[in-house]
Amino acid sequence: MNKVLTSLNTFFLILLFLSLIFSMFSFPKLNIDETQSIKVNFYELIQQNDILFDPPAANTLIKKEAKKTSAINEKTNADETSIISKFKINKLDIKNEITKIKLSKEREDILRVSAIIQQRISSIWIKPNSLSESLIAKVLINLAPSGEILNFSLIEPSSNTSFNESILTAMNKMTFFEEVLSLERKLFEKNFRNFNLVFKSSGEIE
Amino acid sequence: MIRFLSILFILVSNTIFSILEIEILKGSDNLSKVAFVPFGNESGIEENYGSQISKNIEKNMLLFGEFENLAVNEMLSYPSSENDFYYRDWKVLGVDYSVIGKVNSVNALGNLNISYSLFNINRRIKILEGEIVGSEDNIEDISKIISNRIYEQITGLRGIFDTKLAYVINSDADTYQMCISDIDGKNEQILFTSKAPIMSPDWSPDRKKIAYVSFENGLAEIFIQDLQSGERDSIQALGMTNSAPVWSPDGKSLALVVSFSGNPDIFLYSIRNKRLVRLTNHYGIDTEPSWSPDSKKIIFTSDRSGSPQLYEISTKSKRKKRLTRDGNYNARGRYFPDGKSIFFVHGNNGNFQIAIKKLSSRYIETLTSTSLDESPTISPNGNIIIYATKDGSNGYLGGITLDGKARFSLPVKNGSVREPAWSPLLN
Repeated sequence: MNKVLTSLNTFFLILLFLSLIFSMFSFPKLNIDETQSIKVNFYELIQQNDILFDPPAANTLIKKEAKKTSAINEKTNADETSIISKFKINKLDIKNEITKIKLSKEREDILRVSAIIQQRISSIWIKPNSLSESLIAKVLINLAPSGEILNFSLIEPSSNTSFNESILTAMNKMTFFEEVLSLERKLFEKNFRNFNLVFKSSGEIE
Repeated sequence: MIRFLSILFILVSNTIFSILEIEILKGSDNLSKVAFVPFGNESGIEENYGSQISKNIEKNMLLFGEFENLAVNEMLSYPSSENDFYYRDWKVLGVDYSVIGKVNSVNALGNLNISYSLFNINRRIKILEGEIVGSEDNIEDISKIISNRIYEQITGLRGIFDTKLAYVINSDADTYQMCISDIDGKNEQILFTSKAPIMSPDWSPDRKKIAYVSFENGLAEIFIQDLQSGERDSIQALGMTNSAPVWSPDGKSLALVVSFSGNPDIFLYSIRNKRLVRLTNHYGIDTEPSWSPDSKKIIFTSDRSGSPQLYEISTKSKRKKRLTRDGNYNARGRYFPDGKSIFFVHGNNGNFQIAIKKLSSRYIETLTSTSLDESPTISPNGNIIIYATKDGSNGYLGGITLDGKARFSLPVKNGSVREPAWSPLLN
């Protein structure tokens, strides 16, 4: 009895394995060239499967025909499976597309706010004269979601005291970066809650 | 699995450790705004010394256009001690720094005791505090000392308000005067007057002597004049003409141009043993030498390539190097006090402008926008260049800060002013 059960068990395991292999190969493949824009692939899929744009209508039609013949029923089921599986992949594709768009929008927002902050600091920073050496100093800023500067510290001072002093003087002139108010809270927390300002003197006579 | 874990680690570490960095390269074109509050006088002091001192300090600090001031009638308060000082009174007026002070006492000998303070309004801290004692006859000198300290505190550079300028005035076609004055044009002294041209003045490092070229005997001849006694001595160098003297940083020798049979070359002249050592030997014209701050090199102008260009020569190995290649006229080169850059006259399409070049860079940058600039000289703190230029036929001295924010002209003299030479700092 045990032997029978073991052999049955083995048989089902093999069957499960084979079905898994089969199901893997039965998924349609999307050959998306990484160098290509995902939009192109999405467009191609739309061209190939116009039906995808009206899935409820297609489903209704299939259901009516299913009542007539079992042969047709089988065919329809197969089509449906195919459509659904394709639809699933396209949903993933759309999701990717949305993520990409969202990411590019986030990037755009970060760049926009960064550029404004850069411009505002530049307009008040009175850079010391005659610096023929290359200098770099880093300031860590801690912002409230309202844009208020909660704290700042010169975490990496340069070797030149006047250069450092000029930075601290400029930072003391700033109280708010209200530009961050236009950002989504999640984006603010991720990028602007704490950020660095890197002050540089090119080492050229300026 | 290992691959997966390493990717995960990279992702997590990126999330944990990456922080947005915004680079700030450009500074503001605005100037720092300074409030020079009239100094107070302790009760019982009759003369208003305080006001004279603060006015002098303000005049000094504004001399080269490096700062903006707040008019006295716009001030909300007139504190003379820290107890009366409120940052908000200055913050609302957009002031960056405030200078306050007081004349505390005058003793029987006429010596004033003055205290002063400098505040950084944006940082809300006192950044300088001092006391000075000096005679009431030397109020201008006292003001210069205080101005130097304030300037140094704000800019990080040595103050230059007690430096001097040597220059040549050509008052009419036949009169040349060798003059020196304070950097603000005051206390002018005429050292020597001649009917023949005078040129190329240069200060000894101790500020006690001036070397210059005079044609009084028909040929270019180098004289050294003692400023205390007024005595002048001609350098008895060999050759037909001697010109363009420049003191070495240690004051022991001069770099100069000696011309044997019409071919000028660069020589070193030892002042103590009057020995002449040849540095260049070329059929082209070598002229306008100047020492590097470490005395190891000399920059000079030569037309050996077909047009005037700047070259550098090692005083020991005598190895030469061409420094300029842009345009067909680059002359009168001088090193910056840090020795890393040079400034010179750059000619382009008939315009002659003051240019600068970092020795480690290929590129030159023109500083001035006038068209007939010559004889540039740099402040000993390396921040300002004064040069001779022309307005029609009249020569005057123009100046520019190296960041280009401030351009100015020095007070007009009675005649054309040429050949400025900025004195070294008093140690």
